[in-house]
Amino acid sequence: MEKWQKVTIGAVAAAVVVVGGTRAAGLWGAKSANSDTLSFQLPTPIQTLDISKNTDTYSGTIIGNSGSNLMRVDAKGKPKLELAKSVKVSDDGLTYTVVLKSGLKYSDGSSLTAKDFVYSWQRIVNPKTASQYAYLASGVKNADKIAAGKANVDTLGVTSKGNTITFELERPMPQFEYLLTFGNFMPQKESYVEKEGKKYATTAATALYSGPYKVEGWSGTNNKFKLVKNDNYWDAKNVKTKQIDIQIVQKPDTAVQLYKQGKIDRVSIANTPELYNANKNNKDVVKAPEATTAYIEYNQTGKNKFLANAKIREALNLATNRKELTQQVTAGISTPATGLAPEGLAKTSSDEDLAKYVAPGYKFDAAAAKKAFQEGLKELGETQATVTITSDADSPAGKTTVDYLQGSWEKTLPGLKVNQKLVPFQQRLKDSQTQNFDIVVSLWGGDYPEGSTFYDLFKDGASYNNGQFKNAAYTAAVNKAETTDALKDSARDTDYKAAEAALLKDNNINPLYFRSGYSLQNPDVTGIIVNTTGVQYDWKSAVRK
Amino acid sequence: MWKYIFKRLVLLVFTLFLVTTATFFLMQIMPGTPFNNPKLTPEALAQLKTTYGLDLPVWQQYLNYLVGAAHGDFGTSFQYQNQSVSMLIGQRLPVSAQLGAQALVVGVIAGLFMGAASARNKNNKIDGTLGIISTLGISIPSFILGIVLVYLFGFKWPLFPVSGWGDSFSQTILPTLALAVSPAAVTTRFVRSEMIESLSSDYVQLAKAKGLSAKEVVNQHAYRNSMIPVLTLIGPMAAGLLTGSTLIEQIFSIPGIGQQFVLSIPSKDFPVIMGTTIVYSAMLMVMILITDILTAIVDPRVRLQ
Repeated sequence: MEKWQKVTIGAVAAAVVVVGGTRAAGLWGAKSANSDTLSFQLPTPIQTLDISKNTDTYSGTIIGNSGSNLMRVDAKGKPKLELAKSVKVSDDGLTYTVVLKSGLKYSDGSSLTAKDFVYSWQRIVNPKTASQYAYLASGVKNADKIAAGKANVDTLGVTSKGNTITFELERPMPQFEYLLTFGNFMPQKESYVEKEGKKYATTAATALYSGPYKVEGWSGTNNKFKLVKNDNYWDAKNVKTKQIDIQIVQKPDTAVQLYKQGKIDRVSIANTPELYNANKNNKDVVKAPEATTAYIEYNQTGKNKFLANAKIREALNLATNRKELTQQVTAGISTPATGLAPEGLAKTSSDEDLAKYVAPGYKFDAAAAKKAFQEGLKELGETQATVTITSDADSPAGKTTVDYLQGSWEKTLPGLKVNQKLVPFQQRLKDSQTQNFDIVVSLWGGDYPEGSTFYDLFKDGASYNNGQFKNAAYTAAVNKAETTDALKDSARDTDYKAAEAALLKDNNINPLYFRSGYSLQNPDVTGIIVNTTGVQYDWKSAVRK
Repeated sequence: MWKYIFKRLVLLVFTLFLVTTATFFLMQIMPGTPFNNPKLTPEALAQLKTTYGLDLPVWQQYLNYLVGAAHGDFGTSFQYQNQSVSMLIGQRLPVSAQLGAQALVVGVIAGLFMGAASARNKNNKIDGTLGIISTLGISIPSFILGIVLVYLFGFKWPLFPVSGWGDSFSQTILPTLALAVSPAAVTTRFVRSEMIESLSSDYVQLAKAKGLSAKEVVNQHAYRNSMIPVLTLIGPMAAGLLTGSTLIEQIFSIPGIGQQFVLSIPSKDFPVIMGTTIVYSAMLMVMILITDILTAIVDPRVRLQ
């Protein structure tokens, strides 16, 4: 052996020993399970801490845990008083009067006042801010006008006097209390935002925190930072965890391995069917619904005459085996859809899952489907029909959904020819909005835990009604829920049930599955509040046993 | 030589202008807007477009961009609210560059040793083994290696951290290795064939005839001459490595520029796409220029014109 070869082998051997030795000795910062520290993972880097401009779920989780609002969603999914001492609503449901608790402070010790809420609401609707979530304020007096640049921000129906904030609405909004819990409406201090200017909320050091924790060590790009308990938070005595380490782990299976090594306390296993199947029997599995429905929209403008025919639509709906589809497309991770509103979105007044209560009875029935299809063809004087399904080319589920529908529909309905059209997400949105489709597979996620976040979709003239159908019974039921029944919980549940029934009667849409997930969660960590809308994970009360 | 460098720099600016123009107009063909929220109403979308100047005629947007870029203002990211493109690239590029530089150094040094060993043991077992290793190294993609390394050294024998960046040097080891294998393999093949050629050349025969030991012949005569072509290889290799590897960055959760670039395309983050393309092109051209200059310095027969 040559000398240099010996040297090389020696060096490699030495390196292995040193590395292995120091690693074993714990010199590499191996994590010990510290009782007042938690550790969580996010699958993508966070994008911003800007309260008004954020649209990203994971950034929203960090904003929601480092900020607080007038109300906060509790473990049962109901809004409870947070920074507000009281929230009163007028009998007509058009005015909310909120009194703030006294002595509220930001993380830097400066005082938090009613003006900061007024500023935050004005900032999100201000066209200069260019927030993509300005529409969330729609319904507050003049919010839409201001967002469209047709009115001054000062005219917004959010005003303050002393420690009282008054919200004036244009119409009753059953979901309004939930808006008072939202990350995008958390208080912001005008003088601070102005002072930081363009740098505002681009790093941990250029943001102010009103919540249970403050962010430390986020440089705007790094993949590891932490949430540290905020001693100026009004309810700091009930925040038991001193520090939460956040790391970005982009590979789902790496994250799962880190969970198994005890380095992170909760991880999703729903990213791929393989990952799910490999871990579904783990004792730490918990279900995590997403309040998102995948559904089919039929173009009912007459562009494709078959789809304008109610019998043909009925046939397609009856020919859809949602259970089998969910199994094929998501390996059974998601739940077969039973209606438009997804499971886990909201509860009825009697604490039942809204999706379960309103389910109008979508079913799979091959024989009935065949019969309806023949009747439809007869009405149109045709012997066969051709339809094209548009779906996302850039998501695996987009392709498998269309594959399944094409195969099963053509088998169940002789004489039907199904074509596929797979386009990028952005193109699909454009095609949907311009009615350049026959059938399109759409996804909709709820914004707040109340039915209207879904039922607004298909009201007469609503801009997301891509199929452009008119269903008078549906519109009437939803309008009733949002006006006369806006503040009557159980009456509203009934209205939504009627709306779902009206949708099924005309077969205007075809709900496919409720997107859902599964996670592994460390059983020693309790108190995490998981929300399907708003702040995804609320760690305020999370604690390690 | 200074005149030559100046000429090349002028050409570089011109090429950058062409790249910018081509990218700008190609982006206009993509469907959709940078505002990915499907819930935006047409009115809200129109308002956002007005705020960002996206409702202007394309030629005007183009001129605005050029004027801004000439003043060093590459715009603000749509995806990363409020972050300027300069800041975004400025923070992410050094991460990718460090990883790339480490991989380059490890890869080239390993390649030099393996190539030389291979050439000196031409056609025997060592050469054959190294031949197989380098062929594998060239054909196996770095992300497969990355996953294998994560499995072996992250989970089977947990010696190294498997994700993250900036906490400890140990985090950089696995991604560096995964990225270094391909340049190491390429360099090995290259050095081997150059060395074999050098070893059969007249001056090496002369050195041998003079009675120098095999070691002296290789180290002082053959090796140095075999280095020149390797230089031409390092330029483009460096540009490729320093600008970040999307998949390696994804596997190891490294906040580098490669991944950012790829993510910015489907989300139509115009300013980031433009900024990154310009930086990439500039880096590639600068690397090629440096290679040309170095070659001229090392090899007196090359004259820059």
